[in-house]
Amino acid sequence: MDNIKPQDMGKTSDVLVRPEKLMPLPAPYDKPGMEPEFKPVKDTWKEDFCTSLDGFVGNDTLARPKTKEEEQEMIKKFLSGLDKLFSDQTNRGYLQPLALSFEYCAKCNTCSEACHTFKSSGETEIYRPIFRSEVLRKIYRKHKNGDSLVNRFIGGDIDLNIETILRLGELAYRCNLCRRCAQTCPLGLDNGLLAREIRKIFSMEMGIAPKPLHEKGTVNQLKIGSSTGLNKAALLDVIEFIEEDMYDKTGKEYKIPMDKKGADILLTHNAGEFLAWPENPAAFAIIFEEAGLNWTLSSEMIGYDNVNYGLFYDDAQAKKIGIQQFKAARDLGVRKIVIGECGHAHKAATVSMDRNVAGEDNIPRESFLPLLQDLIRKKAIKQDPSRNNFPVTLHDPCNMARMMGLIMPQREIINTICPQFREMTPNGAQNYCCGGGSGFAIMNSFNFPEFRNKIASRMKFKQILNAFQDTIEDPETPKYVCAPCSNCKGAIRDILDYYETTAKFNVHYGGLVELVVNAMPQFERPFLDFLDEEAGMM
Amino acid sequence: MALLLFIYVSIGAFIGLSIYRACQYAKMPLHGRWELYPVPKEPGERGHYGGSYYEELEYWTKPRKVSHMGEMKEMLKEMLFIKNLFVNQKRQWYLSYSLHLGIYLLGLWTVLLLAGAIVELTGTPIVAVNTSPVAAIIYYLTLYAGLAGVALLTIGSGGLVIKRIVNNVFSKYTTPQEYFNLLFLFAVALSGLVVWSVDPAFNYGREIFKGLITFSPITTNAALTVHIVLLGALMIYIPQTKMSHYVGKYFAFHKVLWENEPNLRNSKMEAKVKENLSYKPSTMWSAPHIHHHGTAAPEKK
Repeated sequence: MDNIKPQDMGKTSDVLVRPEKLMPLPAPYDKPGMEPEFKPVKDTWKEDFCTSLDGFVGNDTLARPKTKEEEQEMIKKFLSGLDKLFSDQTNRGYLQPLALSFEYCAKCNTCSEACHTFKSSGETEIYRPIFRSEVLRKIYRKHKNGDSLVNRFIGGDIDLNIETILRLGELAYRCNLCRRCAQTCPLGLDNGLLAREIRKIFSMEMGIAPKPLHEKGTVNQLKIGSSTGLNKAALLDVIEFIEEDMYDKTGKEYKIPMDKKGADILLTHNAGEFLAWPENPAAFAIIFEEAGLNWTLSSEMIGYDNVNYGLFYDDAQAKKIGIQQFKAARDLGVRKIVIGECGHAHKAATVSMDRNVAGEDNIPRESFLPLLQDLIRKKAIKQDPSRNNFPVTLHDPCNMARMMGLIMPQREIINTICPQFREMTPNGAQNYCCGGGSGFAIMNSFNFPEFRNKIASRMKFKQILNAFQDTIEDPETPKYVCAPCSNCKGAIRDILDYYETTAKFNVHYGGLVELVVNAMPQFERPFLDFLDEEAGMM
Repeated sequence: MALLLFIYVSIGAFIGLSIYRACQYAKMPLHGRWELYPVPKEPGERGHYGGSYYEELEYWTKPRKVSHMGEMKEMLKEMLFIKNLFVNQKRQWYLSYSLHLGIYLLGLWTVLLLAGAIVELTGTPIVAVNTSPVAAIIYYLTLYAGLAGVALLTIGSGGLVIKRIVNNVFSKYTTPQEYFNLLFLFAVALSGLVVWSVDPAFNYGREIFKGLITFSPITTNAALTVHIVLLGALMIYIPQTKMSHYVGKYFAFHKVLWENEPNLRNSKMEAKVKENLSYKPSTMWSAPHIHHHGTAAPEKK
């Protein structure tokens, strides 16, 4: 279907649009055959889920109703949720920002140019930030005014049918909620917020949210303690393994303090780090121990997993998790919480949950970045930049940069310890999302990874390639993308794997603390595995 | 006399409805933090590059610094020049700014007409050649502001209507009401031009203000009557539509995107948060996990 309009969301068709002419990539990915093609959509998915938007299935619990009655019930529930969005009883925390963004859009389209998904997809209309918002507006108007002349005058011309609802449920998961579009809006409005509000209707009213975020995410976290499924006993095993690994790498015995009452600092990690990137908590432990800090990790319920996927789709889940995290800190009697390398955990603990806590639970919370900057400034840890003498670029996690204003500490650190550091363009508060934001990094159902790797992460991949243009085609030179965030690391790991960039061009990724430990001269072996392997090959 | 009353009503409605709208937003519950950097009230360079107090080690132990001047400057740039549109979409800015600058100039023109009416009531006529320099200044400023304002408003509103019709992307997203809004502005500007064509010095405007001040009937011809009715109706209409974004914009920036007040222990914000947390809503969301501690509903036995 060509020339798509918001009104087309309700029209019957196999697929509304399939992105085709994607944004070209720089060298060496400008040559034919360098990029995997989209795979065909399976017929069984079409019957059971909503593939009729763009052929991708992101929301794996958004099941297609089987009967007319089920369809009507689903529409009814959606509209009931829509009403609750605009109620000061059920949506107190977001009513004002929502009402402003809903009401005042001038349709100037300035936001479109800022959106990495829209641009990467070759300007596919449905990914235009205002497309989704306009569909929501039309549904709301139709819901309130029916088929009246007034409704058509004010723009409520949309079919309020099951196809519209299902497609909108999918479309809410084509935005990374990076809010780059909102930075450019002349009226200060936020299409990212509206995408999140749509997700809330589906989750909080209809009980529909992607399994990796809800069932395996927040539900697991509230039940077991971590979205990874890691319970206390397993965590303690992992900690032991990390301690052994630290000894192997450094030749020094480090003990990670657990549940130390009255410690100065409770350090919190994204529990995904313990399992996927244990070198990251290890690097933190080495730095904190070498600097002589009085710190601890928690093994108590939710205290060891600082993620809060509720931020992406559900205020109720976000609040329950946030409160538990603060309680874990209070029980330990720590003076402050320091958040490790996880972008959305940064935002959750410091910004999003800030107005959900008061009194004794209101323990000061801060990023690890100013602390690390201070340690390096004071030379509390020894650093030899020549150990990091390879091209390094820095990715700014949206949740830290654009939504918290953390820009300079990481730059000061990386400029101190990486002689070949180069910025991506744009960067800082104007950065592009990695494509894994708002849960995409962990949403791997059906063909959603294709959408992420080829479209959502495409702009970041382009930025990475551009940052390394001088050496990208030299496989002998290792290159490092520093991404101080678990979700961003996950997304970058996937693109480097999908495009075989590590295998072909020696591009690696990791956090910031790993670079800091790698620059510590007292250790013989490099801390970064790819350097260690190279040493082994020689 | 009916026309005079209508003018009073339309001015009152514009002000009253705009205030009502602002009050509606101001009364909304304390919202969760949703700031977006750069936040211009962050002092110094931070306000420009997008930094915040989170860049400081243990920020809560240090005095909170806020640059009201930085916020004011950025707000004024946005209000007076529509800076974000200029930076990010210059092609659209030309027409949009033409429309907005036209309205600002007509606002100035209105103040000048009022000033001129007061001066005339004191016995000094507002004419081109005048012994009173104040009267001469008012005469010329009124002339230039009015002419430039109405010309820019006509070009801006008319140009935007045409752009929204011919540009495929814009036309997809433009509702009939949005065309109507622009055409309404255009009609008011056009009717103003017709009135001005027979009264180039805008004497009619000063006569209307004299009537308003002294509560005495005004003399109008057909063109002026149409213009007054259209302008009055527009003033009543604007605050009820999204053209009232002069209200929304303040809240969107000042109260949402730039509102990064931290909830520190024993602060005023913490008191507000406590009060907000004690609120018991009368209704709830319906998904099963909302009622079961965030996990799935228990299985039925």
